[in-house]
Amino acid sequence: MLQVRDGAGEMLGVLFDRYQAPLFNFYSKLTGNRTLSEDLVQEVFLRILKYRQSYRPGTPFRAWIYQIARNARIDHFRKFPREITFEPEMLPPVVPSDSAQEKQEVELLQRALQQLPEEKREILLLCRFQELKYEEIASLLGCELNTVRTRIHRALQDLRKNFHQLARGTMLKKAEAAAENIPPQGGRYEV
Amino acid sequence: MKCEQIAELLPDYLQGSLSPDQHRTVETHIEQCAECSDEVAIWQKLSLLSVEQPSPMSRVRFEAMLQAYQAGRSNQPARHSEWIKRFSSWKVFGWLRSPLGAAVWSAALLIIGVFAGLRLAGPKPPSQDLAEVQKELASTKQLVVLSMLQQQSASARLEGVNFTTRDEQLNPQVLSALLHTLRYDPSVDVRLAALEALSRHSTQPQVRSNVVNALQEQQSPLVQVALIDQLVEWHDREAKPHLEQLRQSPNLNPTVRQRADWAISKLN
Repeated sequence: MLQVRDGAGEMLGVLFDRYQAPLFNFYSKLTGNRTLSEDLVQEVFLRILKYRQSYRPGTPFRAWIYQIARNARIDHFRKFPREITFEPEMLPPVVPSDSAQEKQEVELLQRALQQLPEEKREILLLCRFQELKYEEIASLLGCELNTVRTRIHRALQDLRKNFHQLARGTMLKKAEAAAENIPPQGGRYEV
Repeated sequence: MKCEQIAELLPDYLQGSLSPDQHRTVETHIEQCAECSDEVAIWQKLSLLSVEQPSPMSRVRFEAMLQAYQAGRSNQPARHSEWIKRFSSWKVFGWLRSPLGAAVWSAALLIIGVFAGLRLAGPKPPSQDLAEVQKELASTKQLVVLSMLQQQSASARLEGVNFTTRDEQLNPQVLSALLHTLRYDPSVDVRLAALEALSRHSTQPQVRSNVVNALQEQQSPLVQVALIDQLVEWHDREAKPHLEQLRQSPNLNPTVRQRADWAISKLN
């Protein structure tokens, strides 16, 4: 009997190994909170166990699993509505890179993504990081394929605006800092 | 073309799912339009964001959750709670103190004792619990196999096919997914593995008919030869006209044609 039980566990373990990292990234980029993200991943697998009969063979499996993931998050925030804000201090660490410029770009991009309204951030995460096909996203969000395309386009436009605004802000700050650091030049323009 | 028209194509361009013509149209536009090219650039920049790994404890918690879930399933606590509530609202101890209550109580204890003794001493009958767990395993396995057969990487799909070989009997949904894999999977290796997995289930009528149909559809000589060999192994005489038809087809690989001739002679 134990063998049979281990069998079910082993099988689900295959799914866990395959999906835990993508799901974790989905949650952590969406909420900015690692601990919460890990809790939600566990919740997703518990729900997979409980509701596995609800998967209809022949339909995209990833859409089903992300449907569970979205519901788990919605239910969580229904229970704990105060936690809904993005937690900037929990931002993922920036990968050390050779180029300082790239490092700065990653930082700006993270902040630009954070500033997006949640539904725009979510759709970008789904298509860019979870690599869901647009058809899968449409079935997940319960909307038309063209609506998905439009939403992605708008989300990207907003992300672009946020990014450039932040970049300009940083450049201004740098310029100010640089201006303050210029040593007084001893009345060069005085007559 | 205007930006609004390009905007409709852009999301598909980003996923690389445009036709070559449309792809070129977008590329030409991007070269001239700063805004649209910036949108593409920001999409590409998103790949710079790091992929994070969950902590190693995550797997441990998953195992614990699984055990707790399965332990909970065999105890079925939820169903009893209603009874417990009702039971505690009765004045249980009041009537037990009466002589009649005492007699009923001792009889009940006796019955429970005898029943428990019998159960513990005798060989355990195949319990309902075991059947339940087996059902659970089957449905979990089905879910996992079906999901694996949909994965993007060929090695994962191969793993999914291999899972199906552990069972004597295939569930109809898994069987039909496997047949779909045999006919339409983009990877030759996965299709070959699916054929091998299916070869154990030749008693199912749709397996044979699908293998015969695959004969006409498959373009890869490797798969064609494997299909022919399988039909010979099954000694499927009904496949003969299909083999004849295959060997007539133009542009057929000479090795495959030779194999088909050999198979036809074997089936005679």
